[in-house]
Amino acid sequence: MEPDAQLVQQCLRGEGPAWEELVRRHAKRVYNICYRFTGNATDAQDLSQEVFLRIYRTLASYRPAYGAFPTWLTSVTRNLLVDHYRRTRHDRVTDSIDDAMPVLEEKHSQARTPDRLAEASELSAQLQRGLARLSPELREAVILRDLQGLEYNEIQSVLEVPEGTVKSRINRGRIELARVLEEMGVRPS
Amino acid sequence: MDWNCKISDERLSEYLDGKLPAADASAFATHTAGCADCAQLVARVGRLVGQMHELAEIEEPPQLIQNILDATIGPRTQKEGWKNWFSWVPKLWQPRFAMGIVTVAASLTIVIHSTGITPGKIKRADLNPASLVRSANRQLHLTYARSAKFVNDLRVVYEIQSRLQPAPEPSPNSAPAPEEKQSRPDPSTPQQKSDKNPPRDRTQVHGGSMFAVLMPATLPASTIATLTRSPQ
Repeated sequence: MEPDAQLVQQCLRGEGPAWEELVRRHAKRVYNICYRFTGNATDAQDLSQEVFLRIYRTLASYRPAYGAFPTWLTSVTRNLLVDHYRRTRHDRVTDSIDDAMPVLEEKHSQARTPDRLAEASELSAQLQRGLARLSPELREAVILRDLQGLEYNEIQSVLEVPEGTVKSRINRGRIELARVLEEMGVRPS
Repeated sequence: MDWNCKISDERLSEYLDGKLPAADASAFATHTAGCADCAQLVARVGRLVGQMHELAEIEEPPQLIQNILDATIGPRTQKEGWKNWFSWVPKLWQPRFAMGIVTVAASLTIVIHSTGITPGKIKRADLNPASLVRSANRQLHLTYARSAKFVNDLRVVYEIQSRLQPAPEPSPNSAPAPEEKQSRPDPSTPQQKSDKNPPRDRTQVHGGSMFAVLMPATLPASTIATLTRSPQ
C-alpha cells in the first residue's frame, strides 16, 4: 500500500498526526494549483484551505483502487476551482494579480544568483498574466501538464474527459499561451 | 498520411512531449524542416514548455498548514502550567542529544570514580563549602603523596634490578683488553693480589647489609629478606 493510502487509513482510525502529515505532504501542490489558476495569493490560500476541509470531510469516500491519492486530491481541487470560477465570474478582475509574488526558485538552480532568481520571478509573473488570459479549460490543462507535471492519463482522471480532449486542450492551451505572451511582448529566451 | 500544417498544429504538444509514434514523429520533423511557419511555432511553444518545466513550485505561505489543521482537527491544545515548562524535554530525545547525554554521564562517572568519591556515602555535612575545600585539599595531598611514593618505589626497584643483574660474560673468542691482561691475577700469588684488589664475589655483593643501607624505610622487611636471600 502506498504511503498516502496508509496515511488515509490512519486518519480514518482517528490518528491526528497522520492527517497532519497528509496535509504537510500535499499543501504545496494544492496551493500551487490554486495560485496558478486564480493568480491571487489570498484566494489561493483560502481555496487551499477549503480543499483540505472538503478532503477531510470526504476522506472515507476515497478508494485507492480508483486512483492515487494525489490524483483524487487534484480532482477535488480542480472541481473547487471551477466552482470558484463560476461563483466569481461577474466580479473577477483579471489584472488583479500584481500583488506580492511568492519567491520562486529554479529547479536546477546550481547558480542561484540574484539575477537568475529575479529572472525566474519575472518569468513567473509574466506567465501568470498569460495564464489569466486563457479560458479555464485550457488554463487548467496547461497548469496540470506543465506546472504540475501530470501525465495525460492522470489529467484525464482529474478532468473526467476523454484522452483526445485532454491532448487537444493541452495543445491549444500551449499555443494560445505562447501567442498571448508574444502579444504581451514576452519572448521566451 | 499526408502531413500538413494543420496536422502539425494539432499534434504539436504530443510531439514535444514525446508521445507521437515514431513514424508520425518522423513525418512531423520532416514537415517542420521544410515549413518556416511550423518551425517557428514549434520553436516558440517548445521554449515556453521548457521554461514552464524549469519553474519550481511556489512556496506555500507558512501559516497555511496551521490554518488548515486548525480548520479541520481544531487548534491543538497548548500545554499549560508546569507542563509547558517541560515541553522542551521530548525534543531532547533525539539520537544526537541522547548520545551526548550518555557521553557526559560516562565522563562524570569516570571522574567521580577516579577521585574516590562514593555518591552513596555523601552526607549533607559533606556538601558544606568548607568541607568540600578541606576534602579537595586532603585528596590533593593524598594524590601527591601516593605519586611521590610510587616514584620512590620505582627508583628502588630499578636500583635493585641493576644490582641483581649479572654482568655480561666475556665472549671466549674475543681477545682480552690489554689492561685486563695486566690486571689479571697470577694464580701463583693469590694472597698478594687479593689484598690490593679484592675479587668481586657475587655472594658478598648480594649481602643483606647493602640492602639495609639502600632501603631502610621504603620496602617492607619481608621483601628485603626475600631479595637478600642468596641464590642457590
